[in-house]
Amino acid sequence: MALLRYAYYPGCASHEITKEANETTIVVAARLGIELVDMPKANCCGAGLLTDYDYPLSLALNARIFAEAESLGLDIMTICSTCLMVMNTANRDLRNSPELLEKTNAILARTGLRYGGNVKIKQLLWVLAGDYGIGNLKKQVVKPLNWIKAAPFYGCHSLRPSDALGFDDPMKPWSLEAVIEALGAESVDFKGKTKCCGFQIDLVDEETAAKMTATRLLDGKGKGANCFVTPCPFCHINLDNYQSLAEKAASKKISMPIFHLAQLVGLALGLSSGEMKLSRHLVSPEKIIK
Amino acid sequence: MKIKFKIKRYNPAEGEPAEPYFQAYTLDVEEGMSVLDALLKIADEQDTTLSFRRSCRSSICGSCAVNINGFARLSCATQVMPEYAKMGDMVIEPLSNHVPLKDLIVDFNPFWSRIEKVAPYLTPTSRRARRRGDVPARENDGARVTARDEEAIDKSQRCIMCGCCNSECNALEIDDRYIGPAALAKAWRLVGDVREGNSRKRLERLSEEHGMWNCVRCVHCTQYCPKSVSPLKQIESLRSRAMKEGVLDNPGAKHVEAMADSVKRVGRLDEAAMTFRTLGFLRSLGMIPFGLKMERHGKMPKPLLFPQIENIAEVRDIYEEAERLEKEDRERKKG
Ligand code: SF4
Ligand code: SF4
Repeated sequence: MALLRYAYYPGCASHEITKEANETTIVVAARLGIELVDMPKANCCGAGLLTDYDYPLSLALNARIFAEAESLGLDIMTICSTCLMVMNTANRDLRNSPELLEKTNAILARTGLRYGGNVKIKQLLWVLAGDYGIGNLKKQVVKPLNWIKAAPFYGCHSLRPSDALGFDDPMKPWSLEAVIEALGAESVDFKGKTKCCGFQIDLVDEETAAKMTATRLLDGKGKGANCFVTPCPFCHINLDNYQSLAEKAASKKISMPIFHLAQLVGLALGLSSGEMKLSRHLVSPEKIIK
Repeated sequence: MKIKFKIKRYNPAEGEPAEPYFQAYTLDVEEGMSVLDALLKIADEQDTTLSFRRSCRSSICGSCAVNINGFARLSCATQVMPEYAKMGDMVIEPLSNHVPLKDLIVDFNPFWSRIEKVAPYLTPTSRRARRRGDVPARENDGARVTARDEEAIDKSQRCIMCGCCNSECNALEIDDRYIGPAALAKAWRLVGDVREGNSRKRLERLSEEHGMWNCVRCVHCTQYCPKSVSPLKQIESLRSRAMKEGVLDNPGAKHVEAMADSVKRVGRLDEAAMTFRTLGFLRSLGMIPFGLKMERHGKMPKPLLFPQIENIAEVRDIYEEAERLEKEDRERKKG
């Protein structure tokens, strides 16, 4: 297989709050032979909030990120679904309209940067299910996770809008299930798997956010999942950090361990729960680790 | 080819079960047949009691929206064969987030009252009010609508009021007082219209609870709208207009402002500063017991300790340039 190299964009959440997602991705990528090149200059994608603030500014800030990857001659790999959605939506608009690209480059001009429109943005899930390949991933598994029944929680931003993202099908997604099964675990289907975790309004309407998180968790639990796995750190924050708020909103004990995608992969590659930083979670996954 | 249609039935008024139930119909289907064609054929040949709405059969009237294999679509615009080939099933249900009345027919009154909430008609400033000086004259008073002005609201005018977006809306699923994407798309149609005289008042009302800041950005409305209205895009336009007009006294706008400052300052999202600014001092104090639990796992957002990104000056330049070019653009338009 050709060497896989990406400009690595963990996203703001995984620099700090969910840094275990970043640290375990680095370990897992190294184990799989995927090379991640740092982007020390990269700014925040805006997480959608800068799109609300000022669209041309948001495009220019995203173009600055793309320009850094372009100068490295690499595509971007992120581990955040919201970054994935925001960056791909910006990239779609820039690539579809030479006029918009020109306008955006005019904003960048003072910095000496220029984006040519040639970068692709992927997330870890796509890299595993696509470039790396499910077959190759299977070959790397040394500890099949055959006692795990994982609810594949895509959340909303890894699938929609599909005209900007394109990799998977929002009505019939397959990539996360395929990775879970490649690791020897069982994937548990549930309707809420591609819906919102509530993160975007945590600070605006806590009540709705907590109810939404509870609805997703109870949905997967009701279908027999013993854990959730998500490719998105924001989903992880709501499903894990804020699970106690969700329990309060639903007046129900939920006790559902939530894995970052890289952690579940790492466990199947034979890495320890210490190496996978599981003690950083608020709902301990230790009890379902063998 | 024969396939099985599993259709949700519901007719408690005529002595049927109080809960909706599924009924299966096997139908001969062929290339080119729409789901609406199939429903009509079932009603014609197998079961005259099957109820559903339809009118134009050509994606214009907006009355035939139903849930097909779990997602809201116009039944006239969904082809049976490719849908079945892809999903391996044909399950037809009434729209979600709507109350069923009979079979596939849902109560549309809540949909219309949401639309009514945004006063769905232009309210240009009256000439008399302008003469009296009650309202400041606007840049474009008396001017014609240019092609560029129209472009800003073009997508929001394509809505056929079918309800697909509200059916898919994740915020509406949890909060039934939320105003919903269809009404918000309509709101931008008006706020974004250069002839509208009450944009600011509209933005203030839209910024109230259960309004435009309660959208969770799930992108479902944009994905499933059959007319490419992109309601989320229109919501973003409303929000940025509110930011520009200074309608900022609400958690949603504060959150966005805090983000814009954070990125300008360090290039990244500063979770602690944002929580503090969005929730305000007292409410973030209320989170202390919970914060302690987060702290034990090293998950409490702290004011940024890590150094800002490299070349932060570039980011600040970009902010300045974006602002400068926008101002130039505005002035060019005026002159
Ligand atoms: S993006 Fe917002 S308005 Fe659109 S469906 Fe999602 S929550 Fe509703
Ligand atoms: S915005 Fe689109 S989906 Fe929503 S009611 Fe209008 S046409 Fe239907």
